Amino acid sequence: MKDINEGTKKMILDPGVYCAEAVRLAAFVFSDRAAIRVVPRGRASTAVISGPDAERLAGEFMNEVLNQQCRLDLAKKNSKIAGIIVTKALLSAAGK
Amino acid sequence: MVIRRPKKERNLKKEGNRKIAVKVSLKKYNLNTARYAAYAVSDAAYVFIAPSGKGAVAVEFTLKNGSQVTGHDKSHVTRHTSQAGNYMTAAGNLVRRFREELKDEKIRAAVFDANRDLREFMILKALSYDTAAPPAEQEDSGLTPEQEKELDALIAQVESEIKKESAGSGTKDPLGITRTWEEKYGAKTGRKRN
Amino acid sequence: MAQKPAAKGTNLSGAVLPQVLWKKTGGNYLLTNDSGHHAWLEEKNFAAVTAGRLPQTSPLFAELASKGFIRSRLDFNDLAAKWKKQNAYLYYGPGLHILVLTLRCNHKCLYCQSAAAGLGAKNTDMPLATARKSVDFAFNSPNPGITLEFQGGEPLLNWEALKGTVAYARKKAKTSGKELKLALVSNFSLLTAEKAAFLLANEVSICTSLDGPKDLHNRNRLFTGGNSHGETLKWLKYFQKKNAAPPPGCRVFKPSALLTVSKYSLSRHREIIDEYVKAGLEDIFIRPLAPIGYAKSLWGAIGYEAKDFSAFYLKSLDYILKLNRGGVVIREKTAAMMLDKIINFRYPGYLDARCPCGAAIGQLAYNYNGDIYTCDEGRMVGWAGDVLFKLGNVFRDAYKKVMSSGLTRVCAVSSNLEAQPACARCAYKPYCGVCPVYNYATQGSLWGNMPSNDRCGLFKGIFETLFAFLKNPGNTAILKKWVAK
Repeated sequence: MKDINEGTKKMILDPGVYCAEAVRLAAFVFSDRAAIRVVPRGRASTAVISGPDAERLAGEFMNEVLNQQCRLDLAKKNSKIAGIIVTKALLSAAGK
Repeated sequence: MVIRRPKKERNLKKEGNRKIAVKVSLKKYNLNTARYAAYAVSDAAYVFIAPSGKGAVAVEFTLKNGSQVTGHDKSHVTRHTSQAGNYMTAAGNLVRRFREELKDEKIRAAVFDANRDLREFMILKALSYDTAAPPAEQEDSGLTPEQEKELDALIAQVESEIKKESAGSGTKDPLGITRTWEEKYGAKTGRKRN
Repeated sequence: MAQKPAAKGTNLSGAVLPQVLWKKTGGNYLLTNDSGHHAWLEEKNFAAVTAGRLPQTSPLFAELASKGFIRSRLDFNDLAAKWKKQNAYLYYGPGLHILVLTLRCNHKCLYCQSAAAGLGAKNTDMPLATARKSVDFAFNSPNPGITLEFQGGEPLLNWEALKGTVAYARKKAKTSGKELKLALVSNFSLLTAEKAAFLLANEVSICTSLDGPKDLHNRNRLFTGGNSHGETLKWLKYFQKKNAAPPPGCRVFKPSALLTVSKYSLSRHREIIDEYVKAGLEDIFIRPLAPIGYAKSLWGAIGYEAKDFSAFYLKSLDYILKLNRGGVVIREKTAAMMLDKIINFRYPGYLDARCPCGAAIGQLAYNYNGDIYTCDEGRMVGWAGDVLFKLGNVFRDAYKKVMSSGLTRVCAVSSNLEAQPACARCAYKPYCGVCPVYNYATQGSLWGNMPSNDRCGLFKGIFETLFAFLKNPGNTAILKKWVAK
């Protein structure tokens, strides 16, 4: 994590640790909270976040990326059961 | 696992220094395990993970401000102020929690892998289970034909697996608690249809 | 006696654990599974179980086997039956239908989430035609039991619509063959003997708010027209008397009350519970504040952290059990609903704690203008200008269209605990649920981020308290009585 200036932080996210989809999803969640720009840098992603209290925002953004990454990790293992339960609930509610 | 302070921030007593880094060997814990363990303690800290040499990652924690380490789990609740002593306690607790999460997650992953098919079978069975079990025409289980087919295949697979596991493990058990499902109800090759 | 060889390390090929969740509390481990069974293990036994070294002759092995924690001893039928009973809601559509009869209210409660409007805002009254259309919409649900809940604002301010809707819904229930329950949530301040008689004759159950002793209640629930606390107690007594001696041919329900915990309540658990007992109430529903609606703007003054609520809840439950031991009949409703799952493997109808959550597929909220929302909390977000949780309108949209909408699907998917990384691993998962509206309002996404989610913290606090109490055999006997039906 690097300071560009007092109100701007730059993070280089290693693609082996954080996939591009997790970074994009986190940026979308954060789009209401701060000015955020995600730029591909080879296989890695660079996220630049600006706003008051940029250090805290950058930390929260990184936690959100991790949240999304863990969600994607889980989906790989659990999507079948998750899908069965949701499908049953939705079909029942629709009266099918 | 090696705990180290980031190179630029050796002086933990320094006010405002709230960072601590933990190196995790990917030979001992895989990346998913390290990621989830870090995620589990992210109530207390901001987390940044980066590769650290060959076969390891560095998990960097920045303790949150104010009531920073106020985990939902009361057994781990600590507070951080700007005082170095309190910081050390908070940081120590965080690392201890992280270490416990790593161990737990490693077991969880192994349990999950060992039970993936069994669990899918059990959920599908439960969804289509008829509690009243009346002698009636074949009724709609609420599953798609594809799911039903899959369920039948899973039942056959799990039953054979359990049979193999339980072979030769007889014991005195008048209540039948330790008897397997097929010992109690007879082996079936397909889902019970009422 | 044959004993399975221990598995090496965490290579569980020979180990005895099936899919299981756990949590370490103190020196012990709480184990739970999909069917809702739970068991306590000492640390050394947990290590033995996970390594497959637990002797099959031990009583613990037998206990774990009977609860579905031993992989080679699973009673699939029993586990399936329990899972299905606990997740019975997966087989029905929305059962709870909230009709917002008006946004007007004569109270100005500090924590109000109901987007209350001033008394002059008659344009926020629901016309009878809209109410009838909403009832029609509700009866499209495949659920064999329909509950219509009249809410506001203060629903008694739109009395004619309420009366007309009750009559229409009763008629509709007869022709449809569905079971109908009617419920009114009111502050009672506009109730008269005539209105009360109508409600009794039509078997409308009554729910109100009681925040504790007079000073606390009136501080939270500002009412310039009089004494809110006095009105509440007066009508509670009235309905309790009617319940004790119902008019001929009438079924009268016991009135119930909700406690919304503000910062001012935190130090006064005893006085609050004593007030409930004094009022003759046998249930207290302790509800935390949510930073949604009006409460959000006053959060600094009346809000608190999850740990503060947990401490309050622990003290309250402890005091209630003490009263129970002295022969006083009172129970806490959140605990009772959770215990129904933990002890009886039964779905108690609690829409906030299920998987997926009840948004759209378990409940619907109908705004005064016929707009349909996923739930009342979703309507609050809509009131603040963000209509993300609006599903449609009773005049324009068909039931099937609403149920197959993207919003219905996304609420179900995002509140599925199997897809939430922290929840999927949590020992409380079989009994818990997440709220996409809360997540969106507080964390900016329907999925939320559970490790730092305050609602998650609140629920964990409640479960920790409950399981800690359940470990004590004396408490267990009392708590089992709470849900012995």
